[in-house]
Amino acid sequence: MAEPKRKGCLGCSFPVLIIVTVVALAIIVMGFLAGPLGKNMIGETEWLNWMTVSPPEPHLPAPVLFHVFGLPITNTIIAGWITVVFLVVISWVVTRRIKIVPGRLQAAFEFLLGWIFDLCNSIAGEENGRKFFPVICTIFLFVLFNAWLSLIPGFGSILFGHHELLRGANTDINTPLAIALVSFVFVEYYGLKTLGIKYLRKFVDVGAFFGSVGKVFKGKAKEGLSGLFSGAVGIFIGGLETLSELIRIVSFTFRLFGNMTAGEILLLIAAFLIPWVLALPFYGLELLVGFVQALIFSGLTLVFVTMAVSPHEGEAH
Amino acid sequence: MDAEAMRMLAAGLAIGLGALGPGIGIGILGYGAMQGLARNPEARGPIMTNMILAIAMAEAIAIYALIVAIILAMIA
Repeated sequence: MAEPKRKGCLGCSFPVLIIVTVVALAIIVMGFLAGPLGKNMIGETEWLNWMTVSPPEPHLPAPVLFHVFGLPITNTIIAGWITVVFLVVISWVVTRRIKIVPGRLQAAFEFLLGWIFDLCNSIAGEENGRKFFPVICTIFLFVLFNAWLSLIPGFGSILFGHHELLRGANTDINTPLAIALVSFVFVEYYGLKTLGIKYLRKFVDVGAFFGSVGKVFKGKAKEGLSGLFSGAVGIFIGGLETLSELIRIVSFTFRLFGNMTAGEILLLIAAFLIPWVLALPFYGLELLVGFVQALIFSGLTLVFVTMAVSPHEGEAH
Repeated sequence: MDAEAMRMLAAGLAIGLGALGPGIGIGILGYGAMQGLARNPEARGPIMTNMILAIAMAEAIAIYALIVAIILAMIA
């Protein structure tokens, strides 16, 4: 302890510390006994039945809660809109009174946004980084706050009919797919806008091939035939580029969906195995996972769009 | 072997085999990062960030297998 005068440990006096430790240990032991692990080892403990959590029943497609004008509203849609409203409200609160010397909330958001802005600048360069920043930052904030909001108690525990009222939006495969499509369109749009029709040459690379065909007919057989071969390789590589561009959507979608869903089910199973205790460390893990997934989604989009806008003149094929 | 046992076996095999590749990948990543760190301790920050990013990429593959295992064991 830094301050010499203070008695006790960890900020509380010794009797309080002992009581807290005893209670925490009691909860850990009782939780272990109440869960299925302890029941298998010790035997049935009826007096602890109030602690047990029922086994999780995960369902991957989000359940439909009700219909609005024939439009099915699932619990993930509600959570997604809550995230959007949360972001809008917090942006309004932060930017309502901007000061030169920032307050605590403003400083936190300035730090976060400045960090993403520096990331954009360092990867895409000064000029492009400024252009890409809004989309990248939106993806980052939505994924991040969506993941973190779904850790708040109430998500998954408030029931509406037979289903939970709220569930993290990215645990429904449609939301990651939508974000992945947005990212795909964003990348292709900037590629086309910056490089023009030359951008498509990356995918359909037939110029070298037909040029060599012409050379063969003009009589320069040796030069033409070797050109023919490299032209065919160029066409094949173009096909691979197209394929990898499309596979990106799938991998974006499943990476985010899988991480979020697995995190949620992991929490449920941890709460089932040792009630009240085991879920706590996994909450910390989920905080990290949400941050890293948001960073990966936006960072990969940033890298792909930077690759799309950089010209390919130097390459031989 | 009845269908239930087969399903449980399939779920276990799915995540067990599916975690092998990412495990090796994360091991190689950690090896590379440690070597980089030992040669150049000042570059701790960027090495750490990029290592975590790359590890999350490798981990995503294990997550695919985990989803398959969860579907097999609990839903299908």
